[in-house]
Amino acid sequence: MTIAAARTPGPPTVRQHFGRTRVMGLSIGVIGLFIGVVFGLGSRAGSHTSVTWSPVNLSSAVPWHLGTLTVPTRLSCLILGLILVALGAEVVVRRPERGVMARFGVAGIFFLFTLILWTGRTLGPSQVSSINFTAILIGSSGVAMVLVYGSLSGVMCERAGVVNIAIEGQYIGGALVGTVLASTTHSFIIAAIGGAAIGAGLGWILAFLALRYMSDQIIVGVVIVTMMAGLSSYLNLQVLSPYPQYNLGNLAPPLAIPLLSKIPILGPVFFNQSGFFYAMMLLVALVSFGLFKTRWGLRVRAVGEHPKAAASVGINVVRVRYINVVLGGAIAGVGGVAFMAVQGQFQPGYTSGLGYIALAGMIFGRWRPSGAVVASVLFGISVYLAENLQTYQIPVPTEILQMFPFLITIAVVSGLIGRVRPPAADGLPYQRD
Amino acid sequence: MTKRFDSLVANDGIDLVVEPGQIHCLLGENGAGKSTLMNVIFGLLRPDEGEMLIDGEPVWFTNSGEAVRRGIGMVHQHFMLVPVFSVAENVVLGFEPTKSFDRLDYAKARDDIRRVSKEFGLEVDPDAIIEELPVGLQQRVEILKALDHDAQLLILDEPTAVLTPQEIDALMTIMRSLADSGKSILFITHKLKEVKEAADVITVIRQGRVVGTAQPTDSEGTLASLMVGREVILTVEKEVRSPGDDVLEIRDLVVRDDRGLPAVNGVSLDVRAGEIMALAGVQGNGQTELVEALAGMRFVESGTITLRGRDITNKTPREILDHGLGHVPEDRHRNGLVLSMSVADNLVLNTPRRAPFARHGSRNLNAVRDNATQVVRDFDIRATSIFEPVSSLSGGNQQKVIVARELSRPLTFFVASQPTRGLDVGSIEYVHRQIVRQRDEGNGVLIVSSELDEVLSLGDRIAVMHQGKITGVVEPTTSRETIGLLMAGVSEEPARA
Amino acid sequence: MPEDPRASLLSRWTRRTSQSPLLVTALALILGLAVGALVIIVTTPAVLDAWRGSFHSWGAPGHAIKVTLDNVGAGYRSMFTGSVVDPPQFWHSLTTGRNWSLSLTPLSETLTYATPLVIASIGVGIAFQTGIFNIGANGQAVAGGIAGATVASMIHLPTFLHLPLTLLAGVVGGMAAGLVPGLLKAYTGAHEVIVTIMFNYVIYAFLIYTLLSTPLQLPGQQNDISRTFDATAQLSPFFGGSSGLRVNWGLFVAIAVVVFAWWFLDRSSLGFDFRVTGANPNAARASGINARVVVVLVFLVSGGLAGLAGIVQASGTTHLITGGFLIGNAGIGFTAITVALLGRNRPMGIVWGSLLFAALGVGGRAMQSATGIPLDLATVIQSVIVLFVATPVLIKEIFRLRGAHTSALQLATKGWGS
Repeated sequence: MTIAAARTPGPPTVRQHFGRTRVMGLSIGVIGLFIGVVFGLGSRAGSHTSVTWSPVNLSSAVPWHLGTLTVPTRLSCLILGLILVALGAEVVVRRPERGVMARFGVAGIFFLFTLILWTGRTLGPSQVSSINFTAILIGSSGVAMVLVYGSLSGVMCERAGVVNIAIEGQYIGGALVGTVLASTTHSFIIAAIGGAAIGAGLGWILAFLALRYMSDQIIVGVVIVTMMAGLSSYLNLQVLSPYPQYNLGNLAPPLAIPLLSKIPILGPVFFNQSGFFYAMMLLVALVSFGLFKTRWGLRVRAVGEHPKAAASVGINVVRVRYINVVLGGAIAGVGGVAFMAVQGQFQPGYTSGLGYIALAGMIFGRWRPSGAVVASVLFGISVYLAENLQTYQIPVPTEILQMFPFLITIAVVSGLIGRVRPPAADGLPYQRD
Repeated sequence: MTKRFDSLVANDGIDLVVEPGQIHCLLGENGAGKSTLMNVIFGLLRPDEGEMLIDGEPVWFTNSGEAVRRGIGMVHQHFMLVPVFSVAENVVLGFEPTKSFDRLDYAKARDDIRRVSKEFGLEVDPDAIIEELPVGLQQRVEILKALDHDAQLLILDEPTAVLTPQEIDALMTIMRSLADSGKSILFITHKLKEVKEAADVITVIRQGRVVGTAQPTDSEGTLASLMVGREVILTVEKEVRSPGDDVLEIRDLVVRDDRGLPAVNGVSLDVRAGEIMALAGVQGNGQTELVEALAGMRFVESGTITLRGRDITNKTPREILDHGLGHVPEDRHRNGLVLSMSVADNLVLNTPRRAPFARHGSRNLNAVRDNATQVVRDFDIRATSIFEPVSSLSGGNQQKVIVARELSRPLTFFVASQPTRGLDVGSIEYVHRQIVRQRDEGNGVLIVSSELDEVLSLGDRIAVMHQGKITGVVEPTTSRETIGLLMAGVSEEPARA
Repeated sequence: MPEDPRASLLSRWTRRTSQSPLLVTALALILGLAVGALVIIVTTPAVLDAWRGSFHSWGAPGHAIKVTLDNVGAGYRSMFTGSVVDPPQFWHSLTTGRNWSLSLTPLSETLTYATPLVIASIGVGIAFQTGIFNIGANGQAVAGGIAGATVASMIHLPTFLHLPLTLLAGVVGGMAAGLVPGLLKAYTGAHEVIVTIMFNYVIYAFLIYTLLSTPLQLPGQQNDISRTFDATAQLSPFFGGSSGLRVNWGLFVAIAVVVFAWWFLDRSSLGFDFRVTGANPNAARASGINARVVVVLVFLVSGGLAGLAGIVQASGTTHLITGGFLIGNAGIGFTAITVALLGRNRPMGIVWGSLLFAALGVGGRAMQSATGIPLDLATVIQSVIVLFVATPVLIKEIFRLRGAHTSALQLATKGWGS
């Protein structure tokens, strides 16, 4: 290990860098072509898609009722496809050094958007099946919010050099404790605190075993998930079923922000959300600022990249890692409560791998809070659509949308598209010598 | 000061006094206890007995942060720099200037660095990213970091191991100017020449004890005998042999390095049977890549390598090994051994499928054991058991395992890269004798070494490499100056094939 | 450290056994059961009521303790009798010579449960020894199940062809699922942990897709359920279907896999290459081992065994697959990771680990039907055991054992950053 650590990973070669950027550009272009050909030319000329922008529950409150917008499907898809082709071409030709991944995220969102347009197309002026776009965004924002909590948890832990694969377990713990506390106290704040505590506790177990006893972080993480899955279904049968008053199914009420929530489309999506959503946005800003602008962040990143160097200037590596893993666990725990507040009643197994999608989002977002947000939006929309395909009558096998976040992450870690570089000491045990 | 690890006494009653403005050399072989001593001073290890005084005040540090606060700076052999951070971030780490809300004050950090750089003549761009800097500059950042933390005593642990001669010269100048400005320097090394060049005072340690102090004016022989406790024969005894036909022919070889740049750029070289060809040159001039290409571990862009009449260009390592190439790699922990496996298994590491060690894909463990018993005896490998993991052996014995493994099978050609790096004198002599024996048995031998003494004493002919090209092939009687010029890229005579 | 010859036989014995992995596992089991008991206590109303009562009246703590012991005892007793042997029942069979099938059912169930687990765990263990963390065993087992189910239910052949072909299909399915992460790791350097986690979910989605589309879905069904396997493709029970004992010929497949794994790791040249690669990939390359080929081969072997485990599970017990097949965190592929850890990646260790976990799993079912304590408690106990086994030093500190410096388990993974 010392040898590996001593060999600083060299900078990416010039060829590699250009090669990968070019592949990214080409991928964006291919997505654009696909949209243009399949969704654009694939829909008959003259077909239209009707889109409404008004969320059902707010339609009366919104002063500017936008009504239904009917767009020609073929033309819109062609235009959006061409935009992506142009974007891809720009990447291939100019090879920008930054923002390529973000552009790729945009391409993904375009893809999902045009998929919806294509799905809802009808011939003639019939507007029976208009697609409520805002409702899709609101629904997706709930999933995305939960994913952001999980990804942030991953960022906190892995930036300090500890792999937190137990996000799923922390979600489960948070949701379980959250539903009991929310049902008994009727306070989401207390529920959130309880969820943070259980998440922090699980984070502490991971930190304790990984930092003090050098246990394998990935194994401990996997086992924590298994344990929480078992425990939650045990408690569900043993406690929640006989005492339904502990699992009432509490949905966090939206807190509309005056004026801002009235903005068309954006308002209901961003400013008519539960407290968990606003807390999430605040947390993203906070973690982002903390990691990249403060002394604390510099030390955390140093510990995650080169713990010995950090130790040599008197930074307590183990303590930094403990703090971050416990804080990260707490964040994921709150994410679990937020999930419960979106879904209602606790059911064992209902997180169904969301913690691993959050992990994927952290990787796709390159271990950055802002990247995690982009990834969570993209993955959130695809998860939401996959779960609600019947509602929107999308004639694509559900399973393909379900695979989407995972396939894209595999492509990213393989370097098939883009290049990600984890913190150098991520997952390695640290031993004082 | 005394430090024990279980029953092993690594430092035994060491006394050391460093004066202000002095370059104090700590000289000793590998394993003599130099690093332990430094780690104790720097607060990374706790001593069992003894005391340390700074300006008359007794102190012990429980962590290195305290040591840094008390004015001790250390430049580690493996740099303690975060590769993806900028120079400024690395320098201020642990002592960051901040503004409100814990924000980093980058402007102040840059100013501080510029001021310190100017004061001591250490020019570095504060915004450069560490991993994009050459090794020499990275080391400069390490020194800068220590100075920025107001170090009065600077510990340099084997600082020249990774540097080019030019960079070493620059380092010596920096050290001298630091000493002149009143800083104390503790310079750890096992290279005699550097000691003579740099030191004001020399302390020699051996087996955890201070065995004497010396003056830079003392001869290298005196210093060396202090280090090892007996007179060292620095020359290799070998008889003159007449070489046979060419066994290895390299023609117009081009090989790229990890960054995709041509590291070997049109090399042609012939080695004859019964001859030791020594490849000299400053490290990083393509020798590593040349040997890797030879062993099949690096892709050959163009050109050919012919071994005993067969083209082995871009063959797999296994095909080349099977054709009789013995290879002692440069980095033995990385490429030569499996540390967690037994001595016996390591001795058959590259012949596990060959009879009698295996038949039809099934291993014959009796044969593996018998082989190990035999080889350990023949090559005098000091191991308590052939079944113990090779990691429990000393560095010298580990190298012996590799050499023994390579030499205990029929060879046609033997390549050794830095075969004696980091070894004690006893092991060096041993390895040298084995190399000469290979030659005497009529095999071709290629030795790569950055130690000129080794090259001169071992080689029957010496090829000098510079920036991926052979700048000359000369006789070992050639003067050091001439070879030095060739290493610097000045071709005096056209290369003889 | 040399042993003091004057030390008593007893103290030497305790020192030696305190180094043994078996002791660590046994202590971990005790701790796991203790945690399980704690969980029962804090979640069983009767126990809690008894304790609450003890605050109100003198002498009640005795009652509360009795209630506690009754509940925990009943749970663990039914766990034991349900997975190993029920002594009265067994005695009855011994004396009367009747009802043997009832007496042997617990053991039969445990062996049935352990059979695919052994196979999958050996796959994971071989990968661990090569320095590869195959977290994708569950997905590969599912893929093996899909491929095997296709052959088992859609091709019709005599048994001597159909059964081997079904098992082979399982192996090939698992290999195919392992090949993708293997190739990605070998040729792009992608970290196998990330890739295999992600790939698991891809395969789960694929499973649902195949079970909802025409060839494999049971005709006339809307649910995610496959056609039933032909009788010729089933691993039939040893003692015939009428005995009620489910232990089946899959057991011999598992035994064959154990023997193969022992030979492969200890005696075969390829196994040596695998272990060298696991311990030092650079040295492996320098000594002529093609690291990329090894990585791909490891994933083929590991994935193939996981796939075999999947089809042995389906063909030996359910004779069809559903959308819930092995899915979730309690699937055999995940348990296999913990069992491999428990058995220190060695074939015989894995056999014992599988039997232990199988007994816990089967016992959990028995406990639920006998006492109403949910079977998921077994998962919790298993997890706690693994957490402690992964941290042997902690166990020794808890039990104040000497020789606490015993070697920690070899770390399975290199960091994501390297």
